[in-house]
Amino acid sequence: MSSDPGVHESRHPTLKQYVGIAIFLFVVTIVEFVIILPEDFRGQGWTIAPLAILSAIKFAAVIFFYMHLKFDNRLLTWVFLGGLALGFAVVLALVGLFTAWTPSLRTFAEDHAKPCTLDHELGGCLEDRVAEAHTPDPDPPAEGADPVASEPASPPAAAAGGLVATGQQIFLTGQGEGAATACFTCHTIEGVPGAVGLLGPDLTHIGTEAANRQPGVSAEDYLRQSITEPESFVAEGVERAVPGLMLTALTAGLTEGDVDALVAFLLEQK
Amino acid sequence: MAHSTELSHHVPEEEHPTTTGINNRKLLMWVFLSSDCLFFGSLIATYMVYRGQSLVGPYPVDIIDVPITTISTFVLLCSSFAMVRALAATNEDRQGGIIFWLLMTAFLGAIFIGFQVYEFNLFKTEGLRIDTNLFGTTFFTLTGFHGAHVTLGIVWLLGLAWVAKKGRLGPRTALDVELAGLYWHFVDIVWIVIFTLLYLIGGFDTGPAVDPSLVPHSITGFLGLI
Repeated sequence: MSSDPGVHESRHPTLKQYVGIAIFLFVVTIVEFVIILPEDFRGQGWTIAPLAILSAIKFAAVIFFYMHLKFDNRLLTWVFLGGLALGFAVVLALVGLFTAWTPSLRTFAEDHAKPCTLDHELGGCLEDRVAEAHTPDPDPPAEGADPVASEPASPPAAAAGGLVATGQQIFLTGQGEGAATACFTCHTIEGVPGAVGLLGPDLTHIGTEAANRQPGVSAEDYLRQSITEPESFVAEGVERAVPGLMLTALTAGLTEGDVDALVAFLLEQK
Repeated sequence: MAHSTELSHHVPEEEHPTTTGINNRKLLMWVFLSSDCLFFGSLIATYMVYRGQSLVGPYPVDIIDVPITTISTFVLLCSSFAMVRALAATNEDRQGGIIFWLLMTAFLGAIFIGFQVYEFNLFKTEGLRIDTNLFGTTFFTLTGFHGAHVTLGIVWLLGLAWVAKKGRLGPRTALDVELAGLYWHFVDIVWIVIFTLLYLIGGFDTGPAVDPSLVPHSITGFLGLI
């Protein structure tokens, strides 16, 4: 770090020194790798200190030689080390703050954890959406939609609307015999409480529209294909916020029975 | 106004006298790098705070591949060597050497990014996304921002190579190369820290069985860096 503060033309290490540093960095990296090579050593607490020290040595070699702080105005060294020290202070403060938290973050999280199926399109949990959609519903046993309980829990509904009622339930919850992303997340059907999604096409009149979408394809077949192979086409002349968002993965969990019910339900939307 | 333009016309930039005795651009670069320490420090702190706190897998031990990343670390170290050669060539006014070593640095950086793209894709197919768990969030954010720094550096180097091709780089404009070099080496040392912390130390973390006492350990380990 010997340098004349008045001189601003920096001197540089020689090629020989550069090669030496490069070899040194290589060797240190190999040593680091060797430390964690034996399986018994991996993730052991005692490996942390030597690994940290070796990495600090590499760090110093690069900044003092490759970035030639050693040969440069000393002020630059203080500018950089000052920022580095502040960076460390930030790390220590944050880690200290959070490790002082008892019980640990993990215990806290485990205590407060709730089931969550990630909704990759809109963010958040699908479970929350289902709960929201059902708040206007006076029927509390909406959880009757879960795969096992659905049969015995909803015999009145099944009797009244049969497939159509089941289809509506799947549309709103994504839960039938199988499971999928709930359709209402993206689709609106006027008159169906909770079905207010805005990303995909409005399905209020899909029961009549479906017959005319593709020549020679019946409304039923069209709907079935739209559900089971949504990526095979994107319907034209339909208003939607985000085209091509409907992925096969969203509906892949539905059973054939679920699809039958959904198709029956959608055909009713005239 | 006209007065000052005239002045700047006659005095080459590197000869501006400054109170610090350091070229302003160079000082600015170091101040920036210094502040970038805080940036990465926060991301590293976040990783350490949430280390071992994920409730669901994949956990680091399930997917982190240390040997592959050791290779990409070597590549980045090599690129730093190529960078110092580029600066040396500039100081010695070897035009061919300037272009060759600048392109070599950018090329090695691109290989490093290639490794990262491969790794990110692999993690994605193995079920780790940025929203999968705390490990995924902190890992992708930290390494992603580092990758973005490298990518920016590559663009910078390619730009310099373009300037060099026009014969505008030489001893008088060596500072242009030096500043890019400082940035590039900084990205290298950030990776030195990330590699040690996320791969060599944190890469074998298991799921719920992880010993919580390891977290305070990593603080003392980190102190060793000072």
